[in-house]
Amino acid sequence: MSRFTKIALIGLILFPFAFLLMLSLGKQWPYPAIFPEQWSLSNWQLVLGGSEGLGNSVLVSVLLSLSVATLSTSLSFWVSRHIAYHPKREAWLSLAYFPYVFAPVILAACLQFFFIVAGLYGTFGGVLVAQLFITFPYGVIFFSSFWNERLRSMEELVKTLGGSTAQAYAKVLVPVAKGALMTCFFQLFLISWFEYGLTNLIGVGKVPTLTLRVFQYVSEANIFLAALASCLLILPPVALLWLNRAVVFREG
Amino acid sequence: MQQRWAAYGGRSLFVLLSAVPIVAGVSYALLYSLGLTGVLSEGFTLAHWQEVLGDAAFWRTLGFSLYVAAVSIGVALGLSLALVLRSPQAFTKGALSFFIYLPLSIPAIVMAFFIFQWLGKGGWLSRLSHQLGLIGALEQFPDWVNDNYGIGIIVAHVIMATPFFTIFFANLYQNERLGEYLHLAATLGAKRRQRIFRVAVPVLLRRGLATVFLYFMFVMGSYEIPLLVGSQSVQMVSIRTIQRLQRYNLGDIPEAYAISVAYTVMVVVLLVGLLWYNRKQMGRA
Repeated sequence: MSRFTKIALIGLILFPFAFLLMLSLGKQWPYPAIFPEQWSLSNWQLVLGGSEGLGNSVLVSVLLSLSVATLSTSLSFWVSRHIAYHPKREAWLSLAYFPYVFAPVILAACLQFFFIVAGLYGTFGGVLVAQLFITFPYGVIFFSSFWNERLRSMEELVKTLGGSTAQAYAKVLVPVAKGALMTCFFQLFLISWFEYGLTNLIGVGKVPTLTLRVFQYVSEANIFLAALASCLLILPPVALLWLNRAVVFREG
Repeated sequence: MQQRWAAYGGRSLFVLLSAVPIVAGVSYALLYSLGLTGVLSEGFTLAHWQEVLGDAAFWRTLGFSLYVAAVSIGVALGLSLALVLRSPQAFTKGALSFFIYLPLSIPAIVMAFFIFQWLGKGGWLSRLSHQLGLIGALEQFPDWVNDNYGIGIIVAHVIMATPFFTIFFANLYQNERLGEYLHLAATLGAKRRQRIFRVAVPVLLRRGLATVFLYFMFVMGSYEIPLLVGSQSVQMVSIRTIQRLQRYNLGDIPEAYAISVAYTVMVVVLLVGLLWYNRKQMGRA
């Protein structure tokens, strides 16, 4: 691939990011101007100032995604071991594909009744449980290829030497799985971070994550705040990518 | 003994979090659509199913979802295969190997917003066309957003899927040692066209079939993108279902659930077909 093609491709990739950043810094954008007539940092100051509820949305999103990713990663790591070593492993694993039969938003629509009965409708806990239904099976599928005979032998060695199951996890399995656990955690964090339909339906708009804010601002035709909320949504995944790249380089 | 209980506990939790919600959701939707539960339930009836299955709009919705998924995935596959086969190393080494991941950090709702502001009548491309003298007024810009052909939806999905498949195929190319196969094919006298269409594309598509299929399902069931850039007259399945559920007319709810069940059955049939095909291929291998 020629240098020009590479630069053109990178330019194409960066265009949406630059475009959203431009809108988040704009104030007036009458047709047919290509760029906003006024530029200002005032939209970004809203996040720091806490007005418009954007700061609150950032907090809710971070808290929700961290909780979902932590719970799903740890539960799926533990459960996947019991699935992976089962003689009918493939049959068990096919259950993990069940949630993907539904679109998340349709799943939420069909489960609304149960969330109302359980008193979880319109609550942070309800959204968290609903997101577990899509992230946990993903985690199980992710870890299913991690378990192998070598790990099983290491685990048995710990027990032969008098160690307990908890010690086998703490001293051997978790340290060995550190990389996989981190990768799974980041992926589940992103699934939760990007989620809109299910969060909106089960949260009834009362759990104001950033994705809900984007839609709210678009509905209000406030494109500048919608662009700002979009930038806030994109920032953590980009930071994670950069971090991943930095770690890979350091290890390389 | 303790280990056995832990294994039972682990597997029970697995069933509870992955299968139970789906079985409960489908059962509830089925019962509601058959008039056996819900606010207006009056006992068993097939009326809602007859209404849905006899409604041309429902079939149009299913057809439109299939069409959007097929065109989006088709275009994305074509572009990503072309990029990877043109320069396989470019996406595993160097600057592009980092930048190609960036579009994956854009959530669907943000992509929909971007498409709206980029391709819409008052969007950036329309403004650029006006400045270049290609159009004289905003109305002259074509309907690429909220249109009946789903152009905005398709473009959004293509932008999201192309980098994903490019990364996927670039890694597959390396792991499957496709370069060596192509070199062998060239040694045996295969021309460039034959090497691409008889060796590279079949190997990559066959190995990536399950992933392509799952992405196809993801596009078919997508919600945020058609919600912002889709048309009101031709809707995708998720939009039609949720709109019917959220209307003030309670009589629409059983139909919404009937659509959910019908869509689920369709996806299950496709999924079973894929598993059957995969098993057959593995048997051959």
